[in-house]
Amino acid sequence: MDNELFMNTEFPPPPEMATHFEPPPSSSSAMMLNWALMDPNPPQDSSFIWEKSTEQQQQQSIFDSALSSLVSSPTPSNSNFSGGGGDGFLIRELIGKLGNIGNNNNNSGEIYGTPMSRSASCYATPMSSPPPPTNTNSQMMMNRTTPLTEFSADPGFAERASRFSCFGSRSFNGRTNTNLPINNGNNIVNNSGKLTRVSSTPALKALVSPEVAPGGEFPRKRKSVPKGKSKENPISTASPSPSFSKTAEKKEEWGGKGSKSSEEKGGKRRREDEDEEEGEGEGNNNTKPPEPPKDYIHVRARRGQATDSHSLAERVRREKIGERMKLLQDLVPGCNKVTGKALMLDEIINYVQSLQRQVEFLSMKLSSVNDTRLDFNVDALVSKDVMIPSSNNRLHEEGLQSKSSSRHHQQQQLNMYNSNNAQLLPNISSNNMMLQSPMNSLEASTLARSFTHLPTLTQFTDSISQYQMFSEEDLQSIVGMGVALNPNNESQHMKIEL
Amino acid sequence: MASADKLINTDVPEKDVFALHFLRSLSNLRTQNPLNSPDKSIDRVRKIKKAAYVSMARAAGGNSRLWSRALLRRAAKDDNKSVRFSRRKRKISSKRRRSNQRAPVVEEAAERLRNLVPGGGGMETSKLMEETAHYIKCLSMQVKVMQCLVDGLSQK
Repeated sequence: MDNELFMNTEFPPPPEMATHFEPPPSSSSAMMLNWALMDPNPPQDSSFIWEKSTEQQQQQSIFDSALSSLVSSPTPSNSNFSGGGGDGFLIRELIGKLGNIGNNNNNSGEIYGTPMSRSASCYATPMSSPPPPTNTNSQMMMNRTTPLTEFSADPGFAERASRFSCFGSRSFNGRTNTNLPINNGNNIVNNSGKLTRVSSTPALKALVSPEVAPGGEFPRKRKSVPKGKSKENPISTASPSPSFSKTAEKKEEWGGKGSKSSEEKGGKRRREDEDEEEGEGEGNNNTKPPEPPKDYIHVRARRGQATDSHSLAERVRREKIGERMKLLQDLVPGCNKVTGKALMLDEIINYVQSLQRQVEFLSMKLSSVNDTRLDFNVDALVSKDVMIPSSNNRLHEEGLQSKSSSRHHQQQQLNMYNSNNAQLLPNISSNNMMLQSPMNSLEASTLARSFTHLPTLTQFTDSISQYQMFSEEDLQSIVGMGVALNPNNESQHMKIEL
Repeated sequence: MASADKLINTDVPEKDVFALHFLRSLSNLRTQNPLNSPDKSIDRVRKIKKAAYVSMARAAGGNSRLWSRALLRRAAKDDNKSVRFSRRKRKISSKRRRSNQRAPVVEEAAERLRNLVPGGGGMETSKLMEETAHYIKCLSMQVKVMQCLVDGLSQK
C-alpha cells in the first residue's frame, strides 16, 4: 500500500529520472500530494511521509511551505542527484526532512528504501512489489526477479538503510557497491558451471530494479542507452538499461569480467531474449564479445543473436557445415572462385559425378584392354601381396612369402629396386635394370620381379609426376613379362619387346 | 596424399594401396573367368567397375568409413554374400527430419549428394560432407590408378 504509493511515484517522472525526487518541485509536490490522495488505503506505518500526507490534505500547505523553505536555502546534500539538477536536490531534501520526522534511518533515496526502514520484512516487501508497479518492465523481470530479489534485497537494503542518515551522497554509491558484490556472489553461485544458464541475469535484474529508482546517479549511462526496448515502457527502458550497462561494467571491473560479462551476454538459453539481448549488448559495449566455444556441452550465444537452444544448436551446426565446405573447397578444383554454399555444393556434386563417370569409363576401357593385354599370372599377383607399397612393408611382407627360394632373389631385387627408386634414373636405364635382372633369375623370381615393378611404379607416379611415362613403360614391360609363359624365353623376349 | 586437417581426418592411403587392391581384384576377376570373355562386354564392364569400387573401398579403410562400409555392404548384397560388420552406433537419423529450420538450399544439395555418395542416406549433413571429402579423395586416387593401368596396357 504504502509501497505502492512509492511505487507509483516512480512513474510520473519517467524519462528524467526514475525517482520521484527529481521532477520539478511544484509538480513533484503536487504529484506527491496527488499520489497521496490517490492512495485509498490508510497508511499503516506512521513513519512514512506519505502516510502523513495521505492522512490530511491540510498538510498540503505545509508541504508548500516546506518546499519554499527548501528552495530558499538549497543544500546540496546529494550531489549524486545531479541528473535532475538542483530541483532534484531540493525535492530530495524536502522528502528527506519530511522523512526524518518520522523516520530515523531510512531516508534512502530509493523509493523502495523508505518503506523498509523498520524491519527486514519491510525490506522484503518493497522488493517484491517492484514487479507489480514496474509492470511496464518486461515480464521476465517479474518472473525472474521475484525469487531472487528478496534474496538479494535483504542484505543490500540492510546495508543501504544503514548508510542513510539523510539523503547522503554516499548512499547511491554505497548502495551500488554493496549490491554489486552481493550480486557477484549470487552470480557466482548461480553460474558456477552453468555457462548457458541465465541465472545471473535474474540476480542482475534484481539488483537492477532497486537501483533503477535512484538511477539518477548514472545519468551518463542513461544517455548512453537510449535505445531501450521496444516492448517496454520508456520508464523501464531508462531504468534497466543504464543499470544493465552500469552493473555490467561494474562487474567487469571486479574481474568477473570473463565469466560474468560473457554470461550476461551470452549465457542465455531459454529467455524471452531479444530485450535482454539488447540490454546486454548495450551494456557490454565495452567488452569484447566472447567467442562461443564449440563443444557439445557448452555453447555460448553470440552477441546480438537469439539464444534459445534450438537456434544455438542450429548455429553450431551451420558453422560445422561451413567448416566442412571449406575443406571440400580445397579438394574440388575450381571451387575457389565460386562463393556461396549452394553454388559450391553444386560444384561438388558435379565433381563427384564426374569422378564416378570417369571410373566407369576407365573400367570400360580396362575391360576392352583386359582381354588382350592384362594376363597377369595368378602366382605373380599373389606374390604381389608380399609387396605392399611402402618399401618397409615390402621387406616385412617378404617374410610371409611361401616361396622360400625366391625370397633371396626378391630381397636382392628389392634392394636393387629400392636403390633404383632412390635414384632418378632415366626411363630407359631403369627399365634396362629391371629387365636385366630377370634374365639371370628363375621364373619365380622373374615373376616376383615383375610385381615389384608395380609398387615401384606407383611410388614413382606418386612422387614424381614427370615419371608418369616411366610408369607406363614399366607397365608395358611388366605386362610383357607377365604374359610370357616361359621365363627363360621371356627374358629374351623381354629385351626384344622393349 | 594425406591431408592434414586436425579436426576432420580425411587421410587417404597412398596410391600404391589402391593399385594393389585393384590389381588383386582384377586378377580375381580373371581367375573367376578363365575363358576370355564369355560374358558380354557390358557384364565385364560392370564387373570391373564393381571390382574397382570394392577395391577402392577396401583400400580406403574398409569399415572405418561410412561410405566404404555402405559400398561394401551394397556390393556384398549384390553378390548375395553375407556381410560381417562390426557393430557401430546408429545415429538417429530422425534428428534430421525433425528440424525444418535447416537451410533448405543446403539441404536440397545435401540430398543430391546423399544419392551420390554411398551410405549417405543415414548421415547428417555435416557428417555427409566429411564423408564426401574422403570419398572424393579416394575416388580421385582410384581414377589415377586406373588411368595409369589403362595407359600402360593400351600403349603396348
